[in-house]
Amino acid sequence: MDEYQLINGIQQGDRKSYQILVETYQRMVVNTCLGIVHNREDAEDLAQDVFLEIFRTADNFRGDSKISTWLYRIATNRSLNLIRNNKRKRFFQTIEETFTGGRNRASEISENRSDQPDQNITDEQRSALLHRALDRLPAKQRTAFTLNKYEELSYLQIAEIMEISLASVESQIYRAKKNLQQLLLECYKKKCV
Amino acid sequence: MNHKSIHKDLIFYIDNELSLEKRIAVEKHLEDCEDCRSFLAFLQEGLMIIEKEKNPTVSPFFYTRLSARLEKPEHQGQSQWVGLAQSAFFSFLLILGIYGGLRLGNNASSLKLYQPATSSILMLNDFEAEPIESFLLDKL
Ligand SMILES: [Zn+2]
Repeated sequence: MDEYQLINGIQQGDRKSYQILVETYQRMVVNTCLGIVHNREDAEDLAQDVFLEIFRTADNFRGDSKISTWLYRIATNRSLNLIRNNKRKRFFQTIEETFTGGRNRASEISENRSDQPDQNITDEQRSALLHRALDRLPAKQRTAFTLNKYEELSYLQIAEIMEISLASVESQIYRAKKNLQQLLLECYKKKCV
Repeated sequence: MNHKSIHKDLIFYIDNELSLEKRIAVEKHLEDCEDCRSFLAFLQEGLMIIEKEKNPTVSPFFYTRLSARLEKPEHQGQSQWVGLAQSAFFSFLLILGIYGGLRLGNNASSLKLYQPATSSILMLNDFEAEPIESFLLDKL
């Protein structure tokens, strides 16, 4: 079954086509979401929403781009939205904690730091550190970097997905790497673990 | 080359994106510099996390779960209206609050309590502005 037939099937609500689409692309969608949200459960939940959106809006698909491009676009947008909403929730929590006298996150992190010797960084700590650094990248840098590093896409493919020029992709990824390196360097110098 | 410029290039060194000339300079510096070697290792191990965590095994029940959700009736259209109604309601509350606060403030001024009343209104407004705004942005 080629892409055209697959989309045709989905547009007609054919369940077999749904299943083929999901089984073909689930790894790709979950992995893309994971690259942005860093949590496997959230990534799977998001991927489910991505496929539901595809089924619901299949009629709008005009076939001028590949199915994967379409999926990548929805996956990155939805993941970034989740991050944005989580940030908002944390903002509310901070306000609540300010008024209820709850502990704030900053103090928790610094407490964790002093518990651990600097030499033996576990993989868990290393990934928390990397995720914190990735979280601080602006949305476009983060999207381009994720597609390049997690999905190993070429700059040309990323340009098509993000609907930006090849030169912009290059500059987004270059800046993402620079920023990431800077954030990790700060961590390294302060021995932040 | 000094540490600072080496530190700026290491991520590109790892990704093999440096010109030959720069690459040689970095390697030469790394040979003699313990600190830069240590940061290089730190960076490499950090980036290695991506290689380790990417492409996780997707739950075998992924499609089963999805098809269960497909059976459920569509709620999206309705929830959008609920969202709009909520936003409208909270905007109304906010406006009512500000109006009420201003009225209270004006009344208080006639009781010669003008100063404290004004400052508390300002504080409340500052504090309310962010969350309600975010809330509205979120729903629309
Ligand atoms: Zn050095």
